[in-house]
Amino acid sequence: MTDVLARRSYHGPSDDIAIDAVHTELDSLWDDAAFVPVMDRMTFTTAVIEAAANIVQHALPVAEDPVELGVDIIVRPMLLQARVSAYNAREPFASEMRPSMPGEESESGRGLALIEALVTTVTFERQDGTNTWVLTRDSTPES
Amino acid sequence: MQFSYELKDSYAEVKGAGRLNMVSAPKLREVVAEVVAGGASRVVVNLEDTVFMDSSGLGALIGCLKAARQAGGDLRISGVQAQVKMVLELTNMDRVLTSYPTAEAAFGDD
Repeated sequence: MTDVLARRSYHGPSDDIAIDAVHTELDSLWDDAAFVPVMDRMTFTTAVIEAAANIVQHALPVAEDPVELGVDIIVRPMLLQARVSAYNAREPFASEMRPSMPGEESESGRGLALIEALVTTVTFERQDGTNTWVLTRDSTPES
Repeated sequence: MQFSYELKDSYAEVKGAGRLNMVSAPKLREVVAEVVAGGASRVVVNLEDTVFMDSSGLGALIGCLKAARQAGGDLRISGVQAQVKMVLELTNMDRVLTSYPTAEAAFGDD
């Protein structure tokens, strides 16, 4: 695609190290795409990290191969898009995909609701043992 | 992420520098548990050097708040930066985790 202005990808074991590695990729991406407004960078970074952390914390392997995390982020002229994938993973339970904010006392369960609040669209795809969350956020470059 | 704490006259100040995410959140729980177990149940988590927080980090703060209250004290936060403020507001937890401009101000009115 000729309208991709900046791009970063990550693929590796689904573990703690991956979360900081993805965050570093995002920071590096914004260095290349300084025209993206600060608010859009902040919201999109948060959504991508939430999605990646959700996979590291909850994705279960479908067979013997361990779950791997893949993240592909692209910046287009009016759009930020991330594909956050769990490879070799079981299909999530329906209850894990319900984005509702829990009560004030709850110490977990806010991730998906937070993602929904941060981005323009969230879609889920499953193909060949891979779960992919596609996040997009409309973003108009700063003039 | 690096955590440290300091015992003041009427509260304990816990400082965290870096990203408060699913990796570092358990460490925050450990540090606050240690502080509370040591007898300081009035805790300020100073977030002036915390550049990022995700829902795991928020969950840890809520857990720490409950631990402090169960010990008869409270937990307040200070120096909240833009991204952390955004997460608190979007989850409506800004009403539960009271934010103060500085650690000194957090228990200043008590």
